[in-house]
Amino acid sequence: MGIIELRNISFSYGVDNFIDDLSMSVDSGKFVGIIGANGSGKSTLLKLTAGILRPAAGRILLWGKSIYDYRGKDRAKLLSYLPQLLDISIPFTVKELISMGLYPYDIMPELSPEEAVSMVGLEDKLFSPISELSGGERRRVYIAMTLLQGAGILLLDEPLANLDVKYQIEFIRLLRELRREKDISIIMALHDINMAFRFDELYVIKEGRIIASGVPSDVITAELLKEAFDIDLKIFDQGNGMVSFGY
Amino acid sequence: MRRVALITTSAFFIVAVSLFIGPRIINPFAMGATGSRIIMSIRLPRLIIAMLMGSALGASGAVLQGILRNPLADPYVLGISTGAALVASFGLLLGSSVFGYFTIPVLAFIGAVVAGILVGAIGYKRGGLWPERLLLAGVGLGFLFYALLMLILSISTNEGIRRALLWIFGDLSMSDWVLIPYGFVFISAGFVLALWRAKGLNALMLGDEIAHSLGFSPNKERTLLFLSVSLMTASSVSLGGVVGFIGLVIPHIIRFLVGADSRILIPMSAIAGGTLLCVADTIGRTVAAPMELPSGIITAIIGAPYFLYLLRKKGILGEQ
Repeated sequence: MGIIELRNISFSYGVDNFIDDLSMSVDSGKFVGIIGANGSGKSTLLKLTAGILRPAAGRILLWGKSIYDYRGKDRAKLLSYLPQLLDISIPFTVKELISMGLYPYDIMPELSPEEAVSMVGLEDKLFSPISELSGGERRRVYIAMTLLQGAGILLLDEPLANLDVKYQIEFIRLLRELRREKDISIIMALHDINMAFRFDELYVIKEGRIIASGVPSDVITAELLKEAFDIDLKIFDQGNGMVSFGY
Repeated sequence: MRRVALITTSAFFIVAVSLFIGPRIINPFAMGATGSRIIMSIRLPRLIIAMLMGSALGASGAVLQGILRNPLADPYVLGISTGAALVASFGLLLGSSVFGYFTIPVLAFIGAVVAGILVGAIGYKRGGLWPERLLLAGVGLGFLFYALLMLILSISTNEGIRRALLWIFGDLSMSDWVLIPYGFVFISAGFVLALWRAKGLNALMLGDEIAHSLGFSPNKERTLLFLSVSLMTASSVSLGGVVGFIGLVIPHIIRFLVGADSRILIPMSAIAGGTLLCVADTIGRTVAAPMELPSGIITAIIGAPYFLYLLRKKGILGEQ
């Protein structure tokens, strides 16, 4: 049994099912990717997993218990979610924003805002307004907030969007380190297949259904990419676990 | 924290000094019977009402800018004040004195509460209050109330309407002790509610999804905070009419000085709002005595240049 499980989930924004009889399960400490084309249902799937949306049918279990049976604070200690857009019009400082990760707690946990900010490499920006940070730094600030929140499951919706390649690689490296050090399960939605081989497990989603899942090297094939993204790609094995795509 | 202490101490001294300043300067150490009568029966109740009104407006502005995620929001954007003005004017036009001495405040309170309920009802959809819907409902209803108010004023020759007009633009000259307990109870209730939900307000400013992730129910938080704003704004308008500027600008200035955390921003905006209205009222009743200038005009004249300076110099809206 995974620490978070989706059992036969269906969800609709209108008449037709947008997510259709979908099941998945994630174990502790895993780095899981959900890839698919735009509009395939990745973001909706993450929002359902976070308990933000309610499915029309099926169950979502967090540590074996329905996610809706948790009190908000208790759920927040186990699972956190960051949306794709991190817009903010109020000039919070880095410290003010990170400290909100402590809200679910009545007693101060072991990690302090100063420690959390140093884990994402922004210790010199603790008192800077968020507005003065770059897109990549802002995302790291939010990650520091979730670290303070102490949840064992982190759901990230398209965290690499709008980041240049350098920050994308740094960000993935940071997440892998955090997963190793703190045994956090990370579930990330993205549409960039170049990052797909970085995950322990991959789910490929199309029209609200999982069309393939497993270890990336087993899952990613030219046929699957054709089905998921409707594009003919060639996959070149570079050796030592690296691949590149050609078209 | 040093800034919090500095603002609080300065506010205390400014308010204390303003008590002794007016058309007649009173020496606190040699007041005499007349001086003490002026203080106790005119200036002190007026000062307390100005503090209550200004605090309510400052705190409401801080809350509302958060729940609507809009730095241009102020307590009057929800149409609550226009609703209050409309019902009070209508009652006065009909010559109503059904609530005796309390007629204007009670009618205004009824108007404000009805307007708040209407805005809330229109802003409600799928189990919660939606910021954009709330804002547009407030602006739309505000225009409607304002048009009706102008209609009433333009077809009326009634003496009561002149009183209503004065009151609409912020009139503290009717202040006395009788109103204070009622104002205090309602404003305190709204203020305590806002402070109680201040963490939820901070989380809402990061967006509903992150607020949910931090363990809050965005709909519940927004509803409680809307109730708090409605209560404080309705009470403030009922006490002394519509005083503009404080609710819009004080939260920005205070955010710049002490940070954006609502747990500090709300009480500090209340203190600064109350102090500004006190000072404005002192100036308004002193500079052109025996004539009085409306407090809303003075608050804008004092505060706007400082606000514009901060906007130009420091980028207080959080832009780079």
